[in-house]
Amino acid sequence: MTVPRLRRARRTRRTTAVQPAPRGTGADRMLRQPAFWIMMAVLVAGAARMAVVGGRFVGVYPFATAVAVALFALLAVPFWLFVSELDFLEREPIALRVLAFAWGGLVATSVSLAGSEALDDLVAKLGSPELAAGWGAALAGPTVEEIAKTLGVVAIVLIARNQINSVLDGVVYGALVGLGFQIVEDVVFALGAVALAGRGDDVQPVVATFLLRGFLSGMWSHTLFGALAGAGLGYLVVRADRPPANRVGVAVLAVLGAWASHVLWNSPLLGDGLGGGAAALLAVLLLKGLPPLLLILLLVRSAHDREADYYVGQLAALDDPELITEGELAVLGSGSRRSAARWYAGRRAGRRARTAVRRLQRAQATLAVELSRDACSVSDGSVGRWSDVVREQRDVLRSLGHPDAVAGTPSWRRTFSLAGTTALAVAVVWVALTALGGA
Amino acid sequence: MGTVTRRQLTNVLAALSIVLILAGLAFGLPALNRALPADRSIAADRPFRIGAGVSVRPPPGAVLDVTGTRPGATDATALFRIGPVQYAISVRPYDGTLTSAAARLRQRITDTSGYQVTGAQLAVATASGLAGLQGGYAAPGRGGRYAVFLAEGRTIEVTVSGADLDLGNTLPAIEASTRTLRYERGR
Repeated sequence: MTVPRLRRARRTRRTTAVQPAPRGTGADRMLRQPAFWIMMAVLVAGAARMAVVGGRFVGVYPFATAVAVALFALLAVPFWLFVSELDFLEREPIALRVLAFAWGGLVATSVSLAGSEALDDLVAKLGSPELAAGWGAALAGPTVEEIAKTLGVVAIVLIARNQINSVLDGVVYGALVGLGFQIVEDVVFALGAVALAGRGDDVQPVVATFLLRGFLSGMWSHTLFGALAGAGLGYLVVRADRPPANRVGVAVLAVLGAWASHVLWNSPLLGDGLGGGAAALLAVLLLKGLPPLLLILLLVRSAHDREADYYVGQLAALDDPELITEGELAVLGSGSRRSAARWYAGRRAGRRARTAVRRLQRAQATLAVELSRDACSVSDGSVGRWSDVVREQRDVLRSLGHPDAVAGTPSWRRTFSLAGTTALAVAVVWVALTALGGA
Repeated sequence: MGTVTRRQLTNVLAALSIVLILAGLAFGLPALNRALPADRSIAADRPFRIGAGVSVRPPPGAVLDVTGTRPGATDATALFRIGPVQYAISVRPYDGTLTSAAARLRQRITDTSGYQVTGAQLAVATASGLAGLQGGYAAPGRGGRYAVFLAEGRTIEVTVSGADLDLGNTLPAIEASTRTLRYERGR
């Protein structure tokens, strides 16, 4: 084992909010938290409630239920991978990611089923049926759902405070709570559509709901709102250098921002303002969904870049091209550049090189985190172990004639391939929607 | 026996606060909803606008339940109560035939556990000339009637439910009300 010569990376104001999480998942520590057991009880209660709801659907529409669960579970996979990839450099423990997803899918949904309906009725009672018809969904749903989802991130803070060490961690947990909520809510909506259609155990309403809610509105749905609220809570937890009023203010603003984005999405605004047809529908979706999407993506990008700067800085301070080259330093902090480097390796030296680059990047990311842990506490030898893993992958790449995992020059072929795939996917969804009468 | 640290106490209190907020949302809001009255008095001597261009003259003595009433331009629902009997009218876009609309409503009724359609389906018409089909259904301890009408790309579904004795007393007034269903384009 060869331990690299360690130099302390310089911390800038930009990276003040990033701290490495302790090694491992901290399972012992989690189990010692009273909040863990209380939250487990809440999760079991939520699971029982959703099992009752699901059981009713399974009894009447077994085939449609199976198709809905399978389709939306498949939809969850790319979202899950994307959210996990967001924090590539310091992945959150899988147990906490699953907990966040389960909170959204079991606790937030079961609370919202009862709460949203009651609040919608209260809008009708205290206001009028007209107000409830127009704005009930915009006021009741976001109010109950955003609170229930945000509490999921708060629960994770209580259970594993030391795992929230950058704003990006809050984004990841918030997005996963939102994703769990989104997937289970979509299944319930799809089966509601089956019931409303009155054609028995028929899957066509499930497919239509999948295309409409999964694709057309999936991008700017609960995952996005949850990410924004999670960013606020992440800021509240990690920015100990800021005055408490500032941190609380940012957290409140972020949760209100998530609520407002949700209200805008559910609101009747532009409901019939752009005429009929598929193009008008798409225009309304873009007008309502795009501003929050862009705002939140910018915020996430800023949080991501801060964390990337901090961890890549740890590797840069080594000044050891065997562990990371200048070209790889430029690649490691960005998801798209990491992907481009893997693609470039595959094109130049084949599939084995592509796999080796993926392993090298993972090893470099882990090494960066271990270096930052060593800067904060006592070394346990992990730096040496991960340095060896990096060197092993470097040797593999060298033997394949591709020693430097750089992104290469931008390739028109890759850009066209990505654009073509996206256009094809949009066209397929569009044709399917039109054929089903959903558009 | 170990002592409870200040940190653990804070942890417990914060977790219990989460549980309290969740309970407020899941049980508090529905309890508050149940505590507030949902009924609004309505005039039986003039048409009530349900929405989506459809209106009806409610039965005498009926009240409007605002929790089941949502007017709209394309979709609309109204829920009336005559004592313990529920009289619901729902308007939705629909481009099929009257027979398929009735089959759809029957399927939805029988999808509910314990509910089954009873007797033959009869042709009916409203005073304004809307053609429809009507039938009956039964559930443990309850009975009901349904009717479906078509009006220019939308279906008007009527469901009446209640205990058999109550239904017997109110059905004539409800059927008279159903015959006053009217569709006016652009209203």
